[in-house]
Amino acid sequence: MHSAEHWLEALQGLELDQPVRIMNVCGGHERSISIAGLRTAIPGNIELVPGPGCPVCICPEEDVFEAIQLALNEDVTLVAFGDMLRVPVNVPKREPRSLEQARAAGGDIRPIASPTDAVRIAKEDPSRTVVFFAAGFETTTAPVAAMLAEGVPDNLLVLLSGRLTWPAVAMLLDSGTPGFDALIAPGHVSTVMGPEEWEFVVAKHGIPAAVAGFRPDTLLAAMYSVLRQRKEERLFLDNCYPEVVRPGGNPIARSQLDEVMQVVDANWRGIGIIPNSGYQLREAYAAHDARRVYRSYADDSRKRVGEMPPGCDCANVVLGKVYPNQCRLYGLACTPRKPVGPCMVSDEGACRIWWSAGYRDNEWEGRKTRQSVG
Amino acid sequence: MCLAVPMKITRIDGFQCTCEARGVEREVSLFMLQDEELELGDNILVHVGYAIQKVSDEEAAESWALFDEILAATDG
Ligand code: SF4
Repeated sequence: MHSAEHWLEALQGLELDQPVRIMNVCGGHERSISIAGLRTAIPGNIELVPGPGCPVCICPEEDVFEAIQLALNEDVTLVAFGDMLRVPVNVPKREPRSLEQARAAGGDIRPIASPTDAVRIAKEDPSRTVVFFAAGFETTTAPVAAMLAEGVPDNLLVLLSGRLTWPAVAMLLDSGTPGFDALIAPGHVSTVMGPEEWEFVVAKHGIPAAVAGFRPDTLLAAMYSVLRQRKEERLFLDNCYPEVVRPGGNPIARSQLDEVMQVVDANWRGIGIIPNSGYQLREAYAAHDARRVYRSYADDSRKRVGEMPPGCDCANVVLGKVYPNQCRLYGLACTPRKPVGPCMVSDEGACRIWWSAGYRDNEWEGRKTRQSVG
Repeated sequence: MCLAVPMKITRIDGFQCTCEARGVEREVSLFMLQDEELELGDNILVHVGYAIQKVSDEEAAESWALFDEILAATDG
């Protein structure tokens, strides 16, 4: 494996004659890029665009609302990954607008770090129903499937909000104005699902793509790969993380996912329904499906009501249409201490990542969307 | 939530194991790696308490070097 310096030199040597936009679809990639300062290290005509890489940010507003209502109105313990607790929804003043506020209002709500924590909490008190609000992309949803496949106590239910990453990229490409010319595919999603999932980007859309790991050297190797593919007009799906990403991914994880869940059309916060982009528990697991057990809490009428907090541009940030600091609230009304939207709450949200990497300027004045520039 | 970290196996008990990294111990499920030959001292990539892949010593060490950098940057 060559060093980051080697790849930086190789990138300089490419002598691009026109600007190229490379999208990443993983919060971990965006974090490495921002913290290592890769944007300023690479040649100026390469733009690095953060894309749909934050599962917390796109978790539908109605699902968070459903979790809050369940926790407040039913005699249950609600557990969720820590990030989900601070995600705000739109409610009238004085009503709890996040799971954290619902906990302050008396809901039995606990952060967990693993599906195994949910199992342990359910076992501790078999008489009490535990609802596991499980949002996440494939890397997180596969362990939820493994947990169910292995067997869970009767009193553990899952409120599933799992999403697949590639359909969001497919949607952008199908729109005709994807806003990027090359793609860096996610490393750990590919570890589980296999890199082959991303082949459509190359085969169907003629966009070069490479799977990358998280160190600057593998990210830079992936950037070099896609730019060289473009320059030489020789496109293929490259794997710049072969130490971890193997052909076919993790076959056990994939078969457990398939046994427990089916792929369905699903809503993405602020974005809308994306075909084949969500997971739903199969009929065989109906007894553990909080959506089936507590049917009345699914409130379809919420699907269109103010999906992002007023003024928050998180959906456009997620789709790579604007950069975080092009939101008018970035760093002003919205900071990690007082987040307005989910992109500032989650460790994988681009707004949060840019803020912790030290981007402090707000470019909203004179803002143009990236698309109108490109 | 999608970033997995490498850890070293210190004890195996069926599909459960104990792992260690940077002095922190955790219980990790091997249920998604049940076809893999795993021994004490092997490194696994752990995500939300589940091992998703076996990794080499070299890969584990390099990943940790990166995480140390990220942690230092985010704490500061
Ligand atoms: S800075 Fe805050 S308000 Fe603006 S898009 Fe990001 S999360 Fe939303």
